[in-house]
Amino acid sequence: METLGFLIDGFGVALAPHNLMFALMGAFLGTLIGALPGLGPANGVAILIPLAFTLGLAPETALIMLTAVYAGAMYGGRISSILLNIPGDEPAMMTCLDGYPMAQQGKASEALAISAVASFIGSLVATIGLILLAPLLADFALTFGPAEYFALFLLAFATLGGITGKNPMKTVVAAAIGLMISTVGIDSTGVQRYTFGTMELYEGIDFIIAIVGLFAISELLFFIEEKAGGGKEKMAVNKLSLTWRDIRNILPSSFRGGVLGFIAGVLPGAGASLGSFIGYTLEKKVVGNKGYFGKGDPRGVAGPEAGNNGASSGALVPMLTLGVPGSGTTAVLLALLISLNITPGPLMFTQNADIVWGVIAALLIGNFLLLVLNIPLVGIFVKLLSVPPMYLLPIVTMIAFVGIYSISNTVFDLYFMVAFGVAGYIFRKLEIPLVPIILGLLLGPEMEKNLRHAMDISDGDWTILWNSGLAIGLWVFAGLGLILPYIVGPILRRRMRVATGAGSSGSD
Amino acid sequence: MTFNDRIFGVLMLVLAVAYGWGASQFPEPFGGAESIGPETFPYLLAVVLGLSSLYMMVRPDPDNAWPWSRTGLELVVAVVVLLLYAGLLQPLGFIVSTALAVGTLCWRMGAAPLKAYATGLVSGVVVFLLFSFALDLSLPLGVLSFLEVS
Repeated sequence: METLGFLIDGFGVALAPHNLMFALMGAFLGTLIGALPGLGPANGVAILIPLAFTLGLAPETALIMLTAVYAGAMYGGRISSILLNIPGDEPAMMTCLDGYPMAQQGKASEALAISAVASFIGSLVATIGLILLAPLLADFALTFGPAEYFALFLLAFATLGGITGKNPMKTVVAAAIGLMISTVGIDSTGVQRYTFGTMELYEGIDFIIAIVGLFAISELLFFIEEKAGGGKEKMAVNKLSLTWRDIRNILPSSFRGGVLGFIAGVLPGAGASLGSFIGYTLEKKVVGNKGYFGKGDPRGVAGPEAGNNGASSGALVPMLTLGVPGSGTTAVLLALLISLNITPGPLMFTQNADIVWGVIAALLIGNFLLLVLNIPLVGIFVKLLSVPPMYLLPIVTMIAFVGIYSISNTVFDLYFMVAFGVAGYIFRKLEIPLVPIILGLLLGPEMEKNLRHAMDISDGDWTILWNSGLAIGLWVFAGLGLILPYIVGPILRRRMRVATGAGSSGSD
Repeated sequence: MTFNDRIFGVLMLVLAVAYGWGASQFPEPFGGAESIGPETFPYLLAVVLGLSSLYMMVRPDPDNAWPWSRTGLELVVAVVVLLLYAGLLQPLGFIVSTALAVGTLCWRMGAAPLKAYATGLVSGVVVFLLFSFALDLSLPLGVLSFLEVS
């Protein structure tokens, strides 16, 4: 019952008028970010971080706003899946299968409303799961020593690519690059490392500059290359005629999808894409021949959409309790926590209880806000879809410039950001994932600190790193995370491709 | 073709060796050496990056095409615009440099020139006003500093 008390306190924080206002603003901005072409959730949250600083927000307010942005972006992503058959991000892929056929049949607004309800249920289920699971996991994590943490960080890197990842070795390369960048600056013993005598590098490289550069600037360059400057054709949205029966029909699918998605989100290496994929496949199995999946079955929209949103809330569990994010967007949220001087991990639940529970409560409130926002305002978001990227992306780039400039008012940071953008473009061309680089930047200092502590305890004996059962378990899972993609990955990827291929041919 | 991964692998191997060598040059920390010095963690990273870059050279993935010719040039133009934007932000001021940078980018991405620069100017003015008055944050005025109201 302790949890309940904390949660009520959390609601007290989240319902404070200014926090509520920022949550509403975040939810709106987030949906916008999710709906706009070429602005993924991680990218959008990254650009907003420096702005949250310039506003001088209190830590809990900043975190509440950006959590709402995060939740909102997941809602927004489905709009382009349904109306244009273009998934905003990978997890939204499965929503296209039945969402786009529904839109073609003139039921676009029903599909949007159903997906909003399903997203809401998925997030709600997963947030309740988060409330129940997070304190338990945090208590458990208190038993971790430095050696276990070191192994846990390795596990995080190893599973980041996910089981469906293509080439795990490239994840390793990316992680190493990120960790290397994190060693630049003056270390804890006062030694300068890789600063080349440049004053600006003494404090290390600000990861927010790196994140905004890698995501936002490289996105601009990609759009220029693809010449995707023009807008997408407008999709007519009919008048909504949704009955309670329709909603009742999709409820079981949404609950199943939410639970599955939550599990996929919590587990390292599964991720939201797998969550929505399993959500969809299970729906097909459960409903069986009575359904008309691939041809606009509402349950085919509800299942994966709930799974997708469930996974994104589930992904917050390892981020909050262990300080180890499992996805790009949660990595960006971790960046925010670190720059607010809050150390994520089990201690956060005791030391910053008001912030943690405020955020969790904000997630619940944010979901209600999003549901309320989404059904009447969907017309506005649909209009935004037709904003051509050729106007949008330069403006987004400009906002990134303003945000980075406002952190320290130096031009040096801007050059750095552009350099990271060019590097990010090259990495993406080489199919080197960007998220491990960012995770390396974020976790590098903690990882080195834990290594030092472990070695101090053991007096220089390296075997301490795999001396406890827990540590060995983590090492084994990390190993599996790198090896399994070679074995299971091709099979799973083929299945996902078959499912999406069948769906799009069925819609023709 | 599998040149990309091989070349990148070679570059990363060079980086790993240089990084590892750099770590061996660190001065001993004040107070004497400990079991873990400032160079230990970098050594580990250099080994990991070295091994994984060797793997990339041995088992490269198929290449993605690079945009040579016109599109490549457009990319170079975009990067130059961004660098100039960063460099001119303070001397020219936020509004003028934004109008030029955003305008040029919009134009190069396919908008009509007049509309492009109008977008740049309007967005620059709006963001400037928003930051100066609503958020109380000063962006440089540059050549427009005669407009300053104090």
